[in-house]
Amino acid sequence: MLFKKSRLAEVLDATAQAMDVYVPAIVEGTSCFAPYGEDAGVTEPNFELQNTKIPPKGLLFPSTEKLYTWGKGPEGAFIESALDKPAPFVAFGVRPCDVAAIERMDQVFLTKGYIDEFYQAKREALTCVALACNRASDACFCTSMGQSPNEAPEADLLLVEGEDAFEIHPQTEKGQALADLWKPFLEEGSVDHKPVECSTQVNMEGVAQKLHGMFDSPLWDEVSTACLTCGSCTFICPTCHCFDLSQARKKEENARFRCWDSCMFKDYTLMAGNHNPREQKRNRVRQRFMHKLCFFEERYGEPLCVGCGRCLVDCPATMDITAIIDKVNAWEEKEASHV
Amino acid sequence: MSKIIVEHGCAGICEGSSLVPKIVHVTGIKELTHDVKLFTFKTPEGTAPFASKPGQLGMFSVPPFGECMFCITSRGEDYVEMAVKKVGVVTEQMHKLRVGDSVGLRGPYGNSFPYESCKGRNMLFIAGGIGMAPVRAFLEYCLGHREDYGRIDLVYSASTYDDLVFKEELFEKWPSYPDTHVHVSLYHGNESWTGPVSYTAPYLEQVVAEEGLSTENAAVTLCGGPSLFRTCRESLTKLGYSPENIITTLEARMKCGVGKCGRCNIGGKYICLDGPVFTEAELADIPRDL
Repeated sequence: MLFKKSRLAEVLDATAQAMDVYVPAIVEGTSCFAPYGEDAGVTEPNFELQNTKIPPKGLLFPSTEKLYTWGKGPEGAFIESALDKPAPFVAFGVRPCDVAAIERMDQVFLTKGYIDEFYQAKREALTCVALACNRASDACFCTSMGQSPNEAPEADLLLVEGEDAFEIHPQTEKGQALADLWKPFLEEGSVDHKPVECSTQVNMEGVAQKLHGMFDSPLWDEVSTACLTCGSCTFICPTCHCFDLSQARKKEENARFRCWDSCMFKDYTLMAGNHNPREQKRNRVRQRFMHKLCFFEERYGEPLCVGCGRCLVDCPATMDITAIIDKVNAWEEKEASHV
Repeated sequence: MSKIIVEHGCAGICEGSSLVPKIVHVTGIKELTHDVKLFTFKTPEGTAPFASKPGQLGMFSVPPFGECMFCITSRGEDYVEMAVKKVGVVTEQMHKLRVGDSVGLRGPYGNSFPYESCKGRNMLFIAGGIGMAPVRAFLEYCLGHREDYGRIDLVYSASTYDDLVFKEELFEKWPSYPDTHVHVSLYHGNESWTGPVSYTAPYLEQVVAEEGLSTENAAVTLCGGPSLFRTCRESLTKLGYSPENIITTLEARMKCGVGKCGRCNIGGKYICLDGPVFTEAELADIPRDL
């Protein structure tokens, strides 16, 4: 099944009638997933964007999120959860790497004993419409991370863009419900989509195992030199999920918030009494890459990187995770050659 | 002797919401030292805030100052206790609390001391300063089930006499149990202190030699600051204790307590969720910043 590109606006409008829709767009100079509609100011999705600068992770895990309020009432002290059940919404045009990143976040927030109910409420409300890539940027390396730019198995519905139409592949019940909603605009047929390949490749085979033994390697001195510990990489990363819990006290309301945090910051691990296990930049850079490429894999069986390439493009110090993976691979050879 | 088995992963008796605390009341405050207080908490209904096992953690909050993770020092039928040293923003506020005040508490989190698989062993507990708080939970459990364990030794040190926590238990209650031996040293003595003046690690070596403690059939539980950890581990290795029989409880900054916020990640584990209790043998294979 497909719908013609000329009917895209109708498809989006019909969807927006039923629920909130978020589409890739440039808002105030920054590309992100923005609310679609006349009121919201975005009337046309921008599918030219390979990856939005800000990943869609904020739809499920907002940069700032109220968890609860507290105060003193007539009955005494109270704590009131701010958990609400969001209305169903659609993220429309999510790239396969970002869909894979949502699957990583599901692992973090929904497994291993405790379910994060704030994440879960939004996750259940989300219908994820993926858009297969028509090209790969120089920074894309999702195929090396076990993904494909041509499919998104975890998405509810996959769109494949052709010359003048989008082919649709519902993959879940939620996806099928959308397809049913779009029925008036659908017609039989398929599009001609040439499978995309990433030109940037890294060899991830055995990297986690190698890294496990490289905690004390001088490699970390080498790769951390350039890092400014600005934390940009962690905020634009679709899989980075570290957070802080903090509070705001206003006249009417005392609230506790969850905010994105970064392992690149010195006070992230600072303990009362001033002991800090990761005082040094080298230790923080090591933690970031070890967590992404080794620790997360040991815990969840896959790397905490989907190869979206955002951090390569936007790091002000040109830190490059693919170069680090190459170095890890080469390091082994270097050490082996000594034996 | 069967192996000491520390369970990891969700110990799983956390009820209700994972990040939103419940109101509890301060029902007792005992001043243990000039900067350590022992707090007793109950729900507004007068019951225990939660069921917990020795070694588990509780996330305590004083709005609006923030949250801190503490080891539950002990738990009774209708209360939980936490010994808290004044070192930071939240703990300073805690020390201002009065009986009857309302605060937030969530938990319990983390795994627990391997009290089952340690049965039949001689127990050696080592603690420094406020490191006594988690050790006490395990020690009291063993004393409460005295016949299940062999000889019990506690080696405890603090900076000065005034910094010793649980003095009543140290000098009166615990030594009164059968085959239970309490060894206390100070880093800095004073005129009235007639006991040993020594750092923990050399004192530990001295105690093990003088008492003729066997490294076989032993379970060692260790908790203290980073330097105590390092030096006592070296001493224990020198004395011939095997890493499988050394149990530690780790500390790190924590925010969520449920293995998600990322702070206490070490290797493929989270201290708050998989720990805080590990054996030395397990830690040897977990790359981590100390």
